[in-house]
Amino acid sequence: MVAYNIYFFNRQGTCLYYYEWHRPKSVRQGAGTSADDQKMMFGLFFSLKTFAAAMDPRQDNKSLGAPLRIGEACTFHSFCTNNYKLHFLESPSGLKIVLNTGPDAGDLRDHLNYIYGAIYVECVLKNPAYTPGRPFSCELFTARLHHYIRSLGL
Amino acid sequence: MPRQCSETCLELLALELVRAYGRQSRVPPAAAVDAIGFRTGRQLAERYTANRARLGEPLEVIKFVCKEFWMEVFRKQVDNLRTNHRGTFVLKDNTFRWLAKLSVDPAPPAGAAATRAVASVAELARDYLVLPCALVRGALAHLGVNAAVTAEAAVPPACEFTVTIKPR
Amino acid sequence: METINAEIFTLTYGSMVRQLIADLEDISAVNKQLDEMGYNIGIRLIDEFLAKSKTGKCGDFRETVDRVAKVGFRMFLNTTAAVTNWNAEGTECSLILEDNPLTDFVELPEGCQNLVYCNVLCGVIRGALEQVSINTECSFVRDVLRGSDVSELRLKLLSLNKEEYPFKDDD
Repeated sequence: MVAYNIYFFNRQGTCLYYYEWHRPKSVRQGAGTSADDQKMMFGLFFSLKTFAAAMDPRQDNKSLGAPLRIGEACTFHSFCTNNYKLHFLESPSGLKIVLNTGPDAGDLRDHLNYIYGAIYVECVLKNPAYTPGRPFSCELFTARLHHYIRSLGL
Repeated sequence: MPRQCSETCLELLALELVRAYGRQSRVPPAAAVDAIGFRTGRQLAERYTANRARLGEPLEVIKFVCKEFWMEVFRKQVDNLRTNHRGTFVLKDNTFRWLAKLSVDPAPPAGAAATRAVASVAELARDYLVLPCALVRGALAHLGVNAAVTAEAAVPPACEFTVTIKPR
Repeated sequence: METINAEIFTLTYGSMVRQLIADLEDISAVNKQLDEMGYNIGIRLIDEFLAKSKTGKCGDFRETVDRVAKVGFRMFLNTTAAVTNWNAEGTECSLILEDNPLTDFVELPEGCQNLVYCNVLCGVIRGALEQVSINTECSFVRDVLRGSDVSELRLKLLSLNKEEYPFKDDD
């Protein structure tokens, strides 16, 4: 099972962290630039969230495009294509983690939660050198993250 | 069992207090953070030694700091203690807990930029060592040892505290 | 969750308040500084709270405040707050703290009767809630250090932020 890349975004759409372990198709052939790639990714799951909420057959239908309020419980957490699987975690604080893996990866929600609670919280938010809201790439964080991803067999 | 709280409270308080004093220019930040630590160190030493016999020689006091005090405050003991037997002690903590999360972006591999990057981590560490140094100094003072305490962390979280006993 | 002996925390906090009084001299400036520091702590603290308590989105303000009072205070300060005195609209309430580690063994010095010693808590709550899109005002209306038998925080909901697409569509 392979891990392709990972993105961390905040509510404002800032890409706080990006790493690619393996990305056979270069960014230039895809979105064009890293900035566009990140914006597209953000736009993708933002739309997917609203779409998922609107299409939810079990709840009052919200019209497509209606702004979401806090408390909207329905969120998507992954989608799969024949080539890759995209895993998504969003915390109520607006932190979004996107992990792209090979398509045979299982449900990685618990692992994303671990990355959020045990790696991001401990290595980034409690780092005195870090200012919240800014992109980060501190060594302790990257070391722990890579180690964890490797340990999952990715 | 004494009242407990989450370690996060202390971690974030220490982090923010250094940052807050660093953001203002009304008073020299290091002096203020030092004063905070010194007072706290005295109070902690008072509590930790309330029910025990007085400690005598400076060496005994330093050993107490390296073991019991370090354990209570920094959750482990000092890893290595050296002295020149003339009033200077070097306390080495290989994984100093209060620097454990301090981390910066990776340095470039070599050259002048790399050296600068390494220097800047050590400098940043110094800001965050003021409080612990003052805690130690305060504790020593309460226990009858008047000393200067400084610390260096060239490669955090490994850290060396130097205690220099002031001549009477 | 790693726990420590609270006295290191409360003594450091107390020492810091004393230092702020000496450095700022003006008590209302100290109160403001404590709130600001609390805010900066709160915006870092919230994610640990959300991750460790596995809190998904809360349905409404009431539910949110309940979680703060029961789960939040327990997780960090090892105490709980009671939630009472809701207004009719459900936008204002009180958090009653009978037991607050920050005030253990604390006595306000002379000339500091206007000091809101625990104002950092107001900042923490405000900062943490802001990160989950809830804008609030938080202040102490009763204080054990100023003669009351409990401390009471008044929490007021100001507004909720909507999830908005942050980029302009034509970018």
